[in-house]
Amino acid sequence: MMLSPTASLPTLVFIPFVGAFLALCMGRIAGHKTGYLMVLSALASFILAAMLYAGLDPAAPVVCAAEWLPGVDVNFRLRGDGFGLFFALLVSGIGTLVGIYSLSYVHLSDNRRVARYYAALIAFMGAMLGLALADDLVLLFVFWEITSITSFLLIGFWYDQEIGRKGALMALQVTVGGGLAMMAGFVVIGAITGSYSISELAADPSLREKLVAAGMLTPALLLCLGGALTKSAQMPFHFWLPKAMVAPTPVSTYLHAATMVMAGVFLVGRLLPILGDSPAWTPILTTVGLVTFFLGAYQSLREFDLKAILAYATVSTLGLLMMLYGLKAADQDVLQIWSHGAYKGTLFLVAGIVEHATHTRDLRKLGGLRKVMPITFGVCLLGAISMSGLPPFFGFLAKEAFYAQLLHGEVLHGQPVLQWTIIVLSVLANAFIFAVACKLVFGVFFGPPAEDVDAVDHHAHEAGIGLWGPAAVLGLVALGMGLAYPITSQMVNGMSSDPHAHVHVSLIPHDIGPVAMSAVTVLLGIGIYLMRRPINRLQDALAIIPPMYKFWDWLMAGITAVSVTFSRQWQNGSLRWYFSGVLLFACVLVTAALNRADFLRHDIIVKPHDLYWPAVAISGMLIFAALILVRAQVRLTAALASTAIGFLVALLFVIYRSPDILLTQLLIETVSTIFILLVLFFMPRFSRDVVAPPVRLVRLIVSILVGFTMATMVFLCTLPELRTEDNLGLGYLERSLSEGFGRNAVNVIIVDMRAIDTTGEITVLVVVGMAVFGLLRTRRHKA
Amino acid sequence: MTPHPDGPELDSPGDKSSLPGSPGGPPGSPGELLRSPVLQTVSRAAVPVTIIVSLIIFNQGHNLPGGGFIGGVLAAAAGAMHLMAFGVEGAARWNWWKLSVLGLLISIMTGTVPFLLGEAFMNHTELHPHLPLIGSFHVPTAAFYDAGVYLIVVGMLMTIFVELGLENRE
Repeated sequence: MMLSPTASLPTLVFIPFVGAFLALCMGRIAGHKTGYLMVLSALASFILAAMLYAGLDPAAPVVCAAEWLPGVDVNFRLRGDGFGLFFALLVSGIGTLVGIYSLSYVHLSDNRRVARYYAALIAFMGAMLGLALADDLVLLFVFWEITSITSFLLIGFWYDQEIGRKGALMALQVTVGGGLAMMAGFVVIGAITGSYSISELAADPSLREKLVAAGMLTPALLLCLGGALTKSAQMPFHFWLPKAMVAPTPVSTYLHAATMVMAGVFLVGRLLPILGDSPAWTPILTTVGLVTFFLGAYQSLREFDLKAILAYATVSTLGLLMMLYGLKAADQDVLQIWSHGAYKGTLFLVAGIVEHATHTRDLRKLGGLRKVMPITFGVCLLGAISMSGLPPFFGFLAKEAFYAQLLHGEVLHGQPVLQWTIIVLSVLANAFIFAVACKLVFGVFFGPPAEDVDAVDHHAHEAGIGLWGPAAVLGLVALGMGLAYPITSQMVNGMSSDPHAHVHVSLIPHDIGPVAMSAVTVLLGIGIYLMRRPINRLQDALAIIPPMYKFWDWLMAGITAVSVTFSRQWQNGSLRWYFSGVLLFACVLVTAALNRADFLRHDIIVKPHDLYWPAVAISGMLIFAALILVRAQVRLTAALASTAIGFLVALLFVIYRSPDILLTQLLIETVSTIFILLVLFFMPRFSRDVVAPPVRLVRLIVSILVGFTMATMVFLCTLPELRTEDNLGLGYLERSLSEGFGRNAVNVIIVDMRAIDTTGEITVLVVVGMAVFGLLRTRRHKA
Repeated sequence: MTPHPDGPELDSPGDKSSLPGSPGGPPGSPGELLRSPVLQTVSRAAVPVTIIVSLIIFNQGHNLPGGGFIGGVLAAAAGAMHLMAFGVEGAARWNWWKLSVLGLLISIMTGTVPFLLGEAFMNHTELHPHLPLIGSFHVPTAAFYDAGVYLIVVGMLMTIFVELGLENRE
């Protein structure tokens, strides 16, 4: 390759976005072959990431930076450090396998839907790669939100079914809501320290001291965790992940097991060097992580849907990772993420194969597939054994390291009660996971074939290599990384977010503690598996609290109800109500402005000879016309009176020699009169409404208040005191010819100096014109 | 001056034929409102003149009272006169709102060109083109922006006139 390392960083992020664009364009023609785009772009990114990793210098990672918003120090900065490259390799590697799998899995007659599926999947991959390599908090946030949106599109793949739409919406609401909190946290960090660069924040202690000095370390942490905990489906935000399992299986494998849900974990890993000093760090993350770790495993045993089982098991592992970060054991993050990605990816793909073959994912209907699908069975065994943490698999290494951390970790040292609580719950949770692995293998592949489902009898068949191949690759990774533990050890330590990571990973036990804990786990797990029926009954009896997603539904329904009620009361359709609100608010603004300018504080004496008598005469006529307007019994009279007012005002502009405004006023009055005549037919019968005296009084007060304030403002604004040197208008007049090339300052202001304001206004005009056209045309077509 | 409370309810939906100034229209067809030979003859001459005046007002806007907005309103007023004299059927064959979309495109593109050349968005300047026969003259680029405003105002007002006129006809 001829690409320099600096150039290959952005290239590997943007290849997928180009691929997604091509997929959208070509999908209609290419159909299922669009999937090759996914495979190709993932493979290209994987190769680039692998080359970057091969040439990685831990002391000076490759950085690619471009200015984005230099004024606020937000930059397009990508940085290829070990942890980021590990994530990039994970995302592109599993992306390649999921792409191959999708080629055989996704079969739809509608080419456009296939195109949209692949476009969203490839764009998601690009966003994940960007998220992994971003070295700027704002850039990370942008990629983060792209993953949420593409995830929404992919979960909603079956958008013609309500469950698909609901699952997609719930995932979007939860993760984007958390993402907003996270953005606020990023802004806090950036605004106080003056830097958005992740590596700079992590390396420079003086920046962190600024956060501490401002007392914003813990608030920033809480806000950022809002994003991380929702994205990584931690309790109590975990409920969206099982609901997201309505997505096609490749999507569940890729987004909701291996990569996107790990984004929250990844973020916490990135934040540990920056916000880890906060006193809230360990309590929050350890508690949330431990609860999620245990309850996820516990719930997993209750489920019968293959994907729901795996989803809760994933929730459990995500909790474990959060807890590890809470205990500041960042050195084994890569070990845990990698081993989980390998076995969970395998199992999800196997679940997809089983569903593909039998058209069901319900464990109660499945069974005895060992003979029909021997290869799938073998692949499933690879994943399940690694999941249960038996040697010589990768999962065993990860579990041993985890137990060693619990026994010898520094944070827990000297707190025996806490330490033993965590140890007991962790062993129990791992035992549940062990039982779940047994339940999967025995439930699907052993036992009697379910007789009552004819799908199992007639259609069950071994899958093609396109389906089991990718699963087998992941399963072999789970086995191979365990067998080749010296290499594994070197790699996971080199890629960890902790630069001094030195986790001991070995198949040969050298410490009795973790081995003993593993033995207890296995024995307990076997016990739980054998006792699963009574345990399930016990679990059903204990499930008193409604599931979390119900609370979310109630919350959403509550928000809707409040906003509907508010809208009905506030936007009640009465023009009088709207005008009162707008005018009163204008009065408040005017009074505040005049008050601030000290105009109300000194005496102003008006002498009769100051008055300009023609203007007084016109004003008198104006008052008369206004009286006619309010006393009018017929609409036409009211229309004519208001036109008269308009022309009298124009007359005022004549005597005060303001031709520009005069012209505008005359033309607008003419056109408005035509309007009024045109719509007169459609107005309802003009009737004086009978109102209660108190309402009348309120209206009277509002009218007087508005009239008085406006009259005062006009009067004060014409005082000679206002014509000072620092007058805004004078500045415009001076600059009109030199900068705007015109002598008509009013027009120059409109089209040049304040042209962006005008653009907003003319856009509104266009929209109003189109709305009138659309509304009236459709109304007539219906009639 | 206040009309008698018992006066005819001119504005109720049923009384369309009794509107002032609808001598020629058949009863019940307010679209025929004001359609008189006198008005038609006058408007034949007045509408083109008004449109020319509107263009003059638009053109002088940068230095004298006028501009795209007022010019557009005046042109639309001329259009309204034409509609009143000859009915809305002819004008209804056009989708006038498309004119306003065109105007918006012109305005925004005028502001985008300096942006693409590295200046600030909406940063206007003055052009000095040389044309054969006419010679050299000055055009502020803001005039293009103003032309967009003119088209938007004409398009929007004509849309509303035509649509409301069609409503009245039916």
